[in-house]
Amino acid sequence: MNDESMPLATRSATRRSQVVAICVNDEWHEVTVRPRHMLVEVLREAIGLTGTKDGCEQGACGACTVLIDGTPALSCMTVALECDGKQVRTVEGLAQGGQVSPIQQAFLDQGAIQCGFCTPGMLMSITSLLERNPRPSVPEIKKALEGNLCRCTGYNAIVDAVLQASGQGVQPIMK
Amino acid sequence: MILYDFDYERPASLEQASADLRRLGKGARLAAGGTALYPSMRVENDCPTTVVSVGALTPTAPVRQSDGSIRIDALMRLAALERSELIRDALPMLAEAAGVVAGAQIRHMATLGGNLCQDTRCLYLNQKHDYQFKSPCYKRGGDLCFPYPNNTPDTCWSVYMSDTAPALIALNAGVEILGEGGLRRASLESLYTGSGLSPIGLASDDIVRAIVVPAAGGGFGWGYRKSARRGGMEFGISVMAVALSADEGMQTCSSARIVIGAIREAPIRATQAEQVLSAAPLDEATIARAAAAAAGEIRPLPHHGFTKSYIRDDLRVKIRRVLQEAADRALGSAAQFGRSARGLS
Amino acid sequence: MEPLSYVGKSVRRKDGPDKVTGRAVYSQDVKLPGTLVGRILRSPHPHARIVRIDASRARQLPGVKAVITVDDTKGIKHGFVETPRYPPDQEVLARDRVRFVGEEIAAVAAVDQVIAQRAIDLIDVEYELLPAVFDPFEAMKPDAPEIHPTLPNVRSETALSNIAGRTATGWGDVDEGFAQADYVREDRFESHLRTHGYLEPQATLAHWEDDKLNVWTSSMGTFVKRAKLAKVLDLPYSAVRIHKTYVGGTFGGKIDLYSHEYCAARLSMITGRPVRMVATREEIFSAYRHGQPLVMEIKTGVRKDGIIVAQQVRAINNAGAYRGSGVVVIFLAWGFTMLPYRIPNLAYEGLSVYTNYPLRAPQRGHGCPQIRFAIESQLDRIAEDLGIDPVTIRLRNARKPWEELPNGDNVHEAGLIDCIKLAAEKSGFLARHGQGRRQTSTIRRGIGMGVSSYFGGSLIYPNGSGVIVKMADDGSATVLTGAIDVGQGAETVIAQIVAEELYLPIEDVRIISSDTDTTPQDIGAWISGMTYVTGNAARQAAGNARTKLLQVAAEKFGCEIEALETRDKIVRNRANPDQQLTYREVIALSIATRRGDTVIGEGFWRTMRDEPTHPSLATTKGRWSENYAFSCQVAEVEVDTETGEARVLKAWTVHDCGFAVNPALVKGQVDGQVSMALGHAFLEEILTKDGYTLNPSWLDYRMPTVHEMASSDDAEIVTEQYTVGKSYRVKEVGEGLVSGVLAAIANAIYDATGVRMQSTPFTPEKLLRGLRQLERKGRPGRQDRDAEKDADEPAAATLD
Repeated sequence: MNDESMPLATRSATRRSQVVAICVNDEWHEVTVRPRHMLVEVLREAIGLTGTKDGCEQGACGACTVLIDGTPALSCMTVALECDGKQVRTVEGLAQGGQVSPIQQAFLDQGAIQCGFCTPGMLMSITSLLERNPRPSVPEIKKALEGNLCRCTGYNAIVDAVLQASGQGVQPIMK
Repeated sequence: MILYDFDYERPASLEQASADLRRLGKGARLAAGGTALYPSMRVENDCPTTVVSVGALTPTAPVRQSDGSIRIDALMRLAALERSELIRDALPMLAEAAGVVAGAQIRHMATLGGNLCQDTRCLYLNQKHDYQFKSPCYKRGGDLCFPYPNNTPDTCWSVYMSDTAPALIALNAGVEILGEGGLRRASLESLYTGSGLSPIGLASDDIVRAIVVPAAGGGFGWGYRKSARRGGMEFGISVMAVALSADEGMQTCSSARIVIGAIREAPIRATQAEQVLSAAPLDEATIARAAAAAAGEIRPLPHHGFTKSYIRDDLRVKIRRVLQEAADRALGSAAQFGRSARGLS
Repeated sequence: MEPLSYVGKSVRRKDGPDKVTGRAVYSQDVKLPGTLVGRILRSPHPHARIVRIDASRARQLPGVKAVITVDDTKGIKHGFVETPRYPPDQEVLARDRVRFVGEEIAAVAAVDQVIAQRAIDLIDVEYELLPAVFDPFEAMKPDAPEIHPTLPNVRSETALSNIAGRTATGWGDVDEGFAQADYVREDRFESHLRTHGYLEPQATLAHWEDDKLNVWTSSMGTFVKRAKLAKVLDLPYSAVRIHKTYVGGTFGGKIDLYSHEYCAARLSMITGRPVRMVATREEIFSAYRHGQPLVMEIKTGVRKDGIIVAQQVRAINNAGAYRGSGVVVIFLAWGFTMLPYRIPNLAYEGLSVYTNYPLRAPQRGHGCPQIRFAIESQLDRIAEDLGIDPVTIRLRNARKPWEELPNGDNVHEAGLIDCIKLAAEKSGFLARHGQGRRQTSTIRRGIGMGVSSYFGGSLIYPNGSGVIVKMADDGSATVLTGAIDVGQGAETVIAQIVAEELYLPIEDVRIISSDTDTTPQDIGAWISGMTYVTGNAARQAAGNARTKLLQVAAEKFGCEIEALETRDKIVRNRANPDQQLTYREVIALSIATRRGDTVIGEGFWRTMRDEPTHPSLATTKGRWSENYAFSCQVAEVEVDTETGEARVLKAWTVHDCGFAVNPALVKGQVDGQVSMALGHAFLEEILTKDGYTLNPSWLDYRMPTVHEMASSDDAEIVTEQYTVGKSYRVKEVGEGLVSGVLAAIANAIYDATGVRMQSTPFTPEKLLRGLRQLERKGRPGRQDRDAEKDADEPAAATLD
């Protein structure tokens, strides 16, 4: 994010840099960004929150999913400049007061995590779903998660975790 | 990531955006949701010096106008379209089409206008060209075509993949365009040039401001199907949209618009199939003939790994099902459709 | 036997809290000040001579700190296997020639991504194009372009061109066997190019500082990485530290040394700054390693009761441009052929053939899915032709417990027969099989069965695992293990075993893992041996620590060790319960009375402890494994016969993993493998043309989404048991369960439609073509042998 040497080629580009203020997980951060910087890079590098993952840079896997003003977004395709003044929530902001959220707990209880790389994006998509629809049906869950790829779990345990977190009768399988 | 620096403007209105595009000239591109432009910039198919972003503008809600038509702000997000009560009631085909685009996150980011103005796609085109397909093809300003080496420079067989355009064309939608001369109107269908090199017939400072869908008459029925291998995150193998009107008294078809997307450089009308339906009874036999006509008249381009013959075989079966759905709805036997069946929140 | 507290229980993952909160640090998450960005220049040609490389303009670009080509390396070669027969054949950067699109030619380190990309663009390379070859059968012809000369050893066995490796073995007399057989049939099957699709990209951070190379890299085994990286850098192991990172999925695609790992390290050594290299998803799809596409030619002779008498198998591997793991897959294809059923007479030949593609890597099952799809499909045909049902023919041929295998291994408590019976029962197989083609609706359901077997642990560097358990003076334990958790749950399983052996609450067991400086050597997460090898090492280490604790207590109490019992971190004399000490007290006593012994337990394990080395890749002679897992899987599919679209409704998996250390983790492995199998069967295909990848993205390489989720039912046949203080045998669950489902899907499609799949993927195009042929012949049930040849397109996609 900071050009340590100032090569001629990019010197003129600094006039394109702007300072933006983004509220991430209830904390305001002022960062200097250029238009080409996507939110995922700003979160991971400038702000230092590496929970949000970049799986493909092209919006095809959902690993970079965050919530912007409550709406799920692919941070790898979101221009950081556009987040000036916005509320961003990442996986690091789900636990409150040392307590994980029901969906995080359900992931632990259902074995919905293996390698964990899709997990942050999944949790954000699910959090958004449950805020809009506290008792989603399985088709609704699938629609909400169709943009989040998982290669490890086959999705079975993830869907069960959503059903557990939404109080729909699925019991923990791990203790 | 995008590996070059560009300027970024955030105009306060679409009028301002159009003026900015005019002022900045060829090096400027419009971004709304960004889900089409930024991936294109990442693979260097588009390299604007300035991005004019209207993503922060708040769209107006869809309204039913005094003539019964529905006016939709082009900046409306696809997810909002999918959920809008008015759209689901008045234009259920559009709600369905908006709901099958890509995945949930993209639908929250992408706009209807952006979806309609998307560029055509080709496997060779839509990837980075660092070491694969380094020589630019015709569409990228170069002098060859990788998949079709015999093509001349004025021919590009990249395919237009929008899921919403076929539905809106079937519904006979019009667009409001802001441009150099101010505001003008045109049919959505006329926006598509049929050229893979330049598929959208808009000037570089034109902006689609709104989509207007005329009121459907009585006896209206629709059918829509996006054929795809998986349940989400797909471009269609083909996209089929049918809008029929039945003359209810005689159970015959009074008008039909059959639009097939994702098989050519622009959505195409299956005019021969429409002819078969015209004034014909909306029974199984007619539908079968219309489906056969549609399958016979299309000349699909192979795309995304699907062969011409497969696209045709697949469409032959599915267009019949879509026509049947449209006919059933038109004839009022549409009990199984609606909000609850789609299970949307 | 006392009940177990942890082993056999679905204990929550140790790394779960880190992963759900975003705290888990993967290779890309490690931050070091002053880190440079590394990028690689890749070949735009499938086969070319490098005439000239001029990196001067790149070196002069402000912001570029270093540029390397092969001339900046030590010229030391490496390879997936390094044996006298198959010496290492790969340099880290191309020397004189490039042999696949994407091959690494040069690397740069720069202050940011933009400058790094510009630098790459400024490297001038002059190429002289060479003819390329992509099909292995073309490559084997005498006049084919030579990618590499065939090695003398191999050349003495075959005159074919471009042979990267050959395996030939057999027993008995197949000609005699075929002559004796009542029924013989020959079939050819092809599997296509598909890939791992791990969510975490290939990512490496390397930092050379104070004569020490620190590396964080996404891998399947830090000790393998260290060995290979040290070798090509010509450094002693002590100068290379591979740190622990979480790993975001591997499936076989992250073992072996990658050029970008070398380049990040070398660039850091030159610049003195950390260098990060992350492959783009496009690079991963187009220039990194995919699974092996195999052609299998299988001739099988049976008696009229379906018992196999003779089998002749030839496997041809499209290896790509270097030897890679292709020489292993042709050995394994033999193994996966001969494991589940008795084959009195066998002739096997495997050829791994160079082509101008990126070289391949093992992909979950490493040949087993391809082989079992072929053999199980053919077996079903044989069964149908003989009028025997699919369950019975398999039961007749299935290996029984304690059978000796022709290579000298033993199957021990093989549970295959019980697996077949239970799978058939749970799925209602016999009642449902054969119904598909009687259905009149255009939507048909079918059911199919697939049997498979997989090995758990074999000998390949580093061959053994060590574990240390060190007690803290509060009575808790820290486990040092080189094992790496790639998602399979290694840390959790090891913690369960240690907690069990030490009678500790699992919260009191901490795991420190996969760091080559601080943890003992480990075999890594790539030969399905963790639970057996590292698990037994952990058991031994914990037991060793426990023995020391008990000795101290026994001495204090004046009793025998056998008189002691441990519960809740307290050691008690059963005969005199007043005599008790907490672990804390015991450890303090140990330090006080035993010259400061802080109580450290040590353990180590190796599979086949009396075998010097792995079996011969050329001849298969030698002991391969002492843990064979068997499985029977059933799939129910639904086919829309108008569109050719098919999907898996449900998969049943019955396997004899020995016993499950953590049933929920086992279920997770089964679910994931069902998903991979249906992806392999219906959705996934790397499309190539003239050596270029057409669909290098997740938009166009279709992995299953949540919509494609199949219902997955999993049951174990328990054939082993865990007893505290005793070594145990357990089998693998992480790799071998893709194959049976893939085979079952193929057989289920046939059951539903009468269309026999001879190649993967089972696309709607192939199904429609097969259905049309059936219609033309007017026979809705059976399918002509000749007609099948038309039923499939060749494995490589062509746009028409």
